[in-house]
Amino acid sequence: MGIPTAPLVTIAFKDLAKSNAAKRGMPLERICFTPHPVWGKSEAQMYEYLEGKDPVSGKPLMKEVVDALTSPLTADESKSGTTTPSVGPPTYVDTADNLQQYFLDNGMTDYLPIIIPTQEKVDAMLKGTSHSPDEVLGKMSPAKGAFPEWSYTVKHAAINAVMAGATPDYFPTLLAIASTGISALFSSTNSLVSAAVINGPVRDKLNMNYGIGAMGPFNQANSSIGRAWTIMSRNFCDGGVCGQTYMGSQGNVVNFSNLIIPENEKDSPWTPFHVQRGFKKEESVVSFFMGFGISQGQGGKGLGMKPVPHFHEAISWNTTPFANMYGALVLVDPLVANGLGDLGYKTKEDLADWLQKNTLVNINDIKTMLFSGPPRGQQIPDGTMIPRFARADMFNFVVVGGQTNPYHQIANMRYQLSVSIDKWT
Amino acid sequence: MPHERITFTPHPVASKTPEQLRAYVEGNDPVSGKPMMKEIVDALTLPLTDDEKKTGMVRVSVGPEKYGPDTARNLQQFYTDNGMTDFLPIVVPTEELVTEMLAGTSHKPDELVGKMAGGAYPPWEYNVKQVAINAVMAGCKPEYFPTILAIASSGTPSLMSSTNSFAYAAVINGPIRDKLDMNYGIGALGPFAHPNATIGRAWTLLSKNLANGGIPGDTYMGSQGNNLNYNNLIIAENEAASPWAPFHVQKGFKAGENVVSLFRGLGIVPGQGARGTSTDTPKYEEQFSDLFSVFTGFFGGLVVADPLIAQSLHERGYDTKEKLIDWLYKNTTQSVKDYKGRDFAYGFDYPRSLKGLEPYATWYKMPDDAMIPRWPHLDDINVVVVGGQTNAFFQCGCLSYGVSVSIDKWM
Amino acid sequence: MLSLLGLSPALLAGATAEAQQKKISSKPAKASAAEPRIEGLNPKGTPPPIQLIPMAPRLGSLDGKTVYLVDTGFEGGGFLLNQIQLWFNRNMPSVTVVFKRKAGPYAEDDPALWKEIKEKGHAAIMAIGH
Repeated sequence: MGIPTAPLVTIAFKDLAKSNAAKRGMPLERICFTPHPVWGKSEAQMYEYLEGKDPVSGKPLMKEVVDALTSPLTADESKSGTTTPSVGPPTYVDTADNLQQYFLDNGMTDYLPIIIPTQEKVDAMLKGTSHSPDEVLGKMSPAKGAFPEWSYTVKHAAINAVMAGATPDYFPTLLAIASTGISALFSSTNSLVSAAVINGPVRDKLNMNYGIGAMGPFNQANSSIGRAWTIMSRNFCDGGVCGQTYMGSQGNVVNFSNLIIPENEKDSPWTPFHVQRGFKKEESVVSFFMGFGISQGQGGKGLGMKPVPHFHEAISWNTTPFANMYGALVLVDPLVANGLGDLGYKTKEDLADWLQKNTLVNINDIKTMLFSGPPRGQQIPDGTMIPRFARADMFNFVVVGGQTNPYHQIANMRYQLSVSIDKWT
Repeated sequence: MPHERITFTPHPVASKTPEQLRAYVEGNDPVSGKPMMKEIVDALTLPLTDDEKKTGMVRVSVGPEKYGPDTARNLQQFYTDNGMTDFLPIVVPTEELVTEMLAGTSHKPDELVGKMAGGAYPPWEYNVKQVAINAVMAGCKPEYFPTILAIASSGTPSLMSSTNSFAYAAVINGPIRDKLDMNYGIGALGPFAHPNATIGRAWTLLSKNLANGGIPGDTYMGSQGNNLNYNNLIIAENEAASPWAPFHVQKGFKAGENVVSLFRGLGIVPGQGARGTSTDTPKYEEQFSDLFSVFTGFFGGLVVADPLIAQSLHERGYDTKEKLIDWLYKNTTQSVKDYKGRDFAYGFDYPRSLKGLEPYATWYKMPDDAMIPRWPHLDDINVVVVGGQTNAFFQCGCLSYGVSVSIDKWM
Repeated sequence: MLSLLGLSPALLAGATAEAQQKKISSKPAKASAAEPRIEGLNPKGTPPPIQLIPMAPRLGSLDGKTVYLVDTGFEGGGFLLNQIQLWFNRNMPSVTVVFKRKAGPYAEDDPALWKEIKEKGHAAIMAIGH
């Protein structure tokens, strides 16, 4: 701005504020800290904060704010020029056990054992693609806009893929994921989760599991592709450092391996997800979702012991605690998809259309929700029931599961984009 | 009874019309290809073969005591290919590393720890050394070993053969949280701390290996699987920042004791979408209750609240967890119609009601529009505090409390 | 000392990397002579021995016999048994069919029902799954 500014930050964000000021070129920025939180506090409590001391410096808070704006700059504070952050040497030489410990201690893993990425293993991984090791693959930031983006190459992806336990045939899928620059450890005080839906022949080629236990720890492709995404999200952009580049107050267990969802295309009566998005059936595609989390659908309201249960009503009800800024990603077992087909929902679009029209919420309730809002620019009388989600395309469906029971899982997650895996073979 | 005469029908039967079911009955067994009803009649009438009459004991082999010698990479592949991992890299459990792990406890390697089954089959047994092998594989340090032994001793698997895809949680309390440097602050439930990550993972590996669990189609039937099974919900309670009694103290342990408490259920729901989240003076108890509206009362409700929320509730008069639980129990209701329509009620509560078990017997006699509590008992609701206070967020687990086990006993 | 070279998973590479890479001894795929051999322990628990149970003698024919249909409580099982009952009525009318819902959730024992079937019935068909 070019005018003196005193950033006032709550103590909870101390490390973040200091490290971010440094990354943005102002390492000595005069940051003043207040106690935490300021949300949900009364006027009297706020006033008490201001009359009190900065919990970091121990000095009276308001005096510090005034000084920050008025006292002259030191020589260091006036510095300009360029510095490059160091990420350490390109290679480490030691015993396997020591290297395992080294990668762990330096925050390069998910705190679980890795495969040490030796040159030989990385070379083997690189054979999984025709792309050159030096090709720049993309840019990633722990939170775009808040942190600078780092760039990375095909070789960097290969190193992280080896660490996660991936095999070279999985590599094109990982390159497609990395090419989007989407971090699986997006920094927010929310503890967000990420999902990758996988379609096309690659699912069978990699022997992915889209049957019984599809989303659990039962298949090397599902497991290691999901895990590699998290490890890349750490190493490609210094992400996932708690208090600095990861601020999720509670964290989310889904971040270990992320939701990897190969669609069960052969048992689904509907169009596969990638075809809905304009790709050809024989193309291999990965599609991305982000949001608050996932839960199971065996919940609140019964379906009744009807011969053919009304799965659509259960899905609608299960979106009750969903913020409408993220949509609903509904993961249905093929039994549910076929049951819905029998009930007349011949396409995913038919079902989305019914759900959008029939999933209603009171306008008064919507106004009390943090991540939800009423439709813009409309005067809606109090007490009116309105659709919870503005558009039918905020409902997305993927068919996955092994047909042992007609269950579904439902995620408060928004579709982001789809990218070709074939491009990276 | 390895030769039992089982007849198969097409699947599913649960969502089919009478006409479709009649077609099943008139049709063939999809396994044998023979007419289904002829097969049933034959099963009851044809004389037994010699094999079908056999009696005696059969021993089940689990392979040799050691694999190798071979290279680390070949062994890594061997463990993966033979279903002994979560399909992610392990530490190969050599005698040396297992001996180091065993130094983490005073208990003898051959001491029996417990029994476990991932489904309706006779449980497998395991000793301290067998648990240690799995702890090494998961990447644990010896100081984590007593916690893993405590979990193993409960006989609670983190992978269950149900067609539901269950999730599991372990709440950890006591000084051990700091001794192991567990994360109960920012990112506590995520991949950001070695003890949280590896203890959670060890639970899944030992559920596979010690109890023959987690074989899809055999000992694991969860139709869709659950992402939470990789590392499970490991919740080290943030006792320092909580205004309430820690969870283990609620269960009768002393504050200075180290305890792990286990939960099972359907999963965990984030709280950001609840009604009332954007008000200036948030009433978090109402938000929890709103989230519970998608829960089946068959499993419990586990509130997982950031300390900011706990402190706010405390300031507003909920000076104990019990007071909060009491409010939640009384104010989270459902109609009898919704309750009866639920699969879990039909499968479990209805037969209990026929036996006169309360509250089910009373509930099943009430009119459809009557309102009843969502949970049969007050203690179906539990509260734990975890998080780094960067924001006043919460999650609610659809999870039932099972058991609390002393970790100190396994030191 | 077994020495391995682990690549930095973060950014950067270049000339220094080239210099260090030369230090790696070439290791052909799979087990080379240079790679040390280790033994890994079996992580499995101890399964109990299984007691074989001889099957009950069969009836030869169902004519004039009483067959119990047992609904174990799995969703839809009752509807299927209903169709089986109708099949017996149509195709083997001499068979007496008795339909019973097992008490308790599906994993729970119902000794009273087993006793009744043993006393009054000749055979049973149980529906498992949904």
